[in-house]
Amino acid sequence: MQHLDPDRLILLALSEELEELTESDHLATCPDCRHEMRALRDVAGIGSEVQDLRDLPAPPEHVWHAVVEGIAAAPAPVADLTEHRARVRRPRSRWLVPVLAAAAAAIVAVAGTVAVDRFTGRAPDEQVTARATLNPLATVPASAGGDALVLADGQLRIDVRNLPLTTGFHEVWLLDPDQPGKMVALGNLPGTPEAVLPLPPGTDLNRYRVVDVSDEPHDGDAAHSGNSLLRGTLTR
Amino acid sequence: MSSDDELAGRLRAGDQAALRVAYERHGAAVLYLAQRLLGNRADAEDVTQVTFVAAWNGRDSFDPQRGTMLGWLLGIARRKAVDRLRSAARDEKKAETVRAQPAPVQAVETPERIVDRLVVADELDRLPAEQRRTLELAFFDDLTHPQIAAVTGLPLGTVKSHIRRGMANLRRRWEVDGAALGSRSADSSRAL
Repeated sequence: MQHLDPDRLILLALSEELEELTESDHLATCPDCRHEMRALRDVAGIGSEVQDLRDLPAPPEHVWHAVVEGIAAAPAPVADLTEHRARVRRPRSRWLVPVLAAAAAAIVAVAGTVAVDRFTGRAPDEQVTARATLNPLATVPASAGGDALVLADGQLRIDVRNLPLTTGFHEVWLLDPDQPGKMVALGNLPGTPEAVLPLPPGTDLNRYRVVDVSDEPHDGDAAHSGNSLLRGTLTR
Repeated sequence: MSSDDELAGRLRAGDQAALRVAYERHGAAVLYLAQRLLGNRADAEDVTQVTFVAAWNGRDSFDPQRGTMLGWLLGIARRKAVDRLRSAARDEKKAETVRAQPAPVQAVETPERIVDRLVVADELDRLPAEQRRTLELAFFDDLTHPQIAAVTGLPLGTVKSHIRRGMANLRRRWEVDGAALGSRSADSSRAL
């Protein structure tokens, strides 16, 4: 059976030209051409409804800031790393990621203890109430890292090493891992490897338990840049 | 303008600037869809935010072979908006309000139809200028081909061929990204 010419179908669908008798006959008996015709009429119908959608207003900038903050507070970097390594075309087995994450968490826990011993050995009079080992995120050189200690006097002692160079500055945050976008800014890091930053009184460390070090540009925007370098979860 | 392929590659590599490009290009369409579905600006902005965060976290699942970036983002946004409507409905139930449900304002407008319109509008903007112009005159001003030829000064044969090619492009795009036919691009973002 000779189908109707595709170009001809488009003109017919736009009701631009009348069907000839032979064309009507063919359409009546050919499901393929009928389907084609219906699809083209649908497209033309949708097309006639899009006039108002041409220059939609952009979302306000605070939505983008919330996106950036949401990304900054995304799940721990450990999971990200396993994602990247295991990026294969077949579906990943369901148990693999949790197992890897658990293994990594165990390593983090051990490393954390060692680091804290080193720390507390140097400052025996300081009372530590919580601690975190800071690990580099996927985009940061693996040699970067750090430790954070929450001291009984309400301060956070942080020590970092091998951070990537920045044209801006490094800032320290406490993130709520359960609520992307919720965070507390603690202050910026001086050029020295170690710093002590006051925690805002009343900060709930059960909630804001992820220590995050970010690279901030000098753009006058006080919100998190979304460019996190190090992260670690506080444990008691 | 960087292609979806290039954007996908940069996203996978963890380049946040690529997400910003996608946001500038498609944020308005995502917000529009959310607002039409939720009927509320604050919720729509929330869903826009959640959509782009989910897109970032699930960036490995975007496959430019299966659909465009816009189709993928709209697929995520649609599910996020529907989730929100459902949980709002659940809250409503929990509160055990006895009052009659007010009829939805836009009951006839399905999410699929809105997605279709956004996709076709986007493709229309991508057409070569003359193809776009002739289709605009046909769609929005309801002009016949001879009238379009008169308005634009193009020969009738040229008008017809612009319309034919333009329609073919819109149709192809609608089949790839449109929601009515069961969006294939939505599959790749189902988990988000």
